Amino acid sequence: MGTRFFEIEIPSTLDHLGEAQQCALAALLENDWIESDQTFYAQLCLEEALVNAITHGNKSDKQRKVRLEMEADGDLCSIRVFDEGTGFSAENVDLPETDKLNGRGVCLIRYCMEDVTYNQEGKYLEMTMRRKGLGEGEPSGE
Amino acid sequence: MSDSNLITFSKRPPIHVGRVQTASMLDAVNVSQFGKELTNFVQEHDKVNLLLDFEGVNYLSSAVLSELLNAQERCEATGGGLRLCSVNPEIKKVFEISNLDKVFVLYDCDVRQGVKRYQKSLEIERDDETWGHATERL
Repeated sequence: MGTRFFEIEIPSTLDHLGEAQQCALAALLENDWIESDQTFYAQLCLEEALVNAITHGNKSDKQRKVRLEMEADGDLCSIRVFDEGTGFSAENVDLPETDKLNGRGVCLIRYCMEDVTYNQEGKYLEMTMRRKGLGEGEPSGE
Repeated sequence: MSDSNLITFSKRPPIHVGRVQTASMLDAVNVSQFGKELTNFVQEHDKVNLLLDFEGVNYLSSAVLSELLNAQERCEATGGGLRLCSVNPEIKKVFEISNLDKVFVLYDCDVRQGVKRYQKSLEIERDDETWGHATERL
C-alpha cells in the first residue's frame, strides 16, 4: 500500500483543468518525482488524462466530478484520475491512422509512463511512473 | 498584416506566415481559440501555403494536433499546404510519438529559413509538374 501525497477534485469543466494540472505538477516536483526538465511530459500526461475524464468520461457534465490522486510506493508513483463515466480499455487503444483527427491522448500517455490502465470497477485511469523516468519510451510509430 | 489573439498572420509571397504568439500556451483551454483562428484564416485564403512559426510555443497537447490536422486537410483540399518551423525538441517528439512527423513537414530552422525552404520546395513542385506535362505530350 502506497502513501497518498496529493489529491484534488474538480467539476467536469476545462475551466478548472489548469488549476488541477499546476497543483499536481508542483506536487510531483516537490516530492522529487520529476526533474524540472520533465515538466513538459508530466503536464502532457496530466492534461490528456484530465481532458479525457472531463470530456469523454463525464461528458463535460458539471454535476459530475473528476478526482486526481497521486500515491507513492517505493520507486513508483501512481497517478489516478477518477471519472463517473462508463469507462474504456486503455490497453486496447491503438494509435489512430494519420488522417484521423482524434484519439492520440492515451498513446502519448503510454509513451511517457511506465504503465497505463483503466480500472473499470473503480472507474479510474491509472498512470504509473518510475521516479524521474518520465518520457523515456519509444515513439509508437517505430 | 492581420492581428488576432493567438496567431499573427503576415504574407511573404507566395507563403503566408502564421506566428503563434510567445505568450500563448496551447493547452486545453485556449486550443479551441487557436483552432478557430487557424480555420478562419485558411477558409478566407484559397490555396494558401501556410508556414506556422512555433518559436514561441513551449507546450502543446493532442488537441492541438487535431486542430493542425484539420487545418492541413483544409489547405490541401484547395491545393495549398501547411508546414511548421521553429518546433522545439519536446514538441517535435510529440509529433513523432503520434506518428505525425510523417504527415507534417517540420522545418528545423527559424522562420526566415523556413520561408526560403518552403518557397524552394514549391518551385521544385512546380518544375516537376511542368516536366510531367511536357513528358506527357512527348
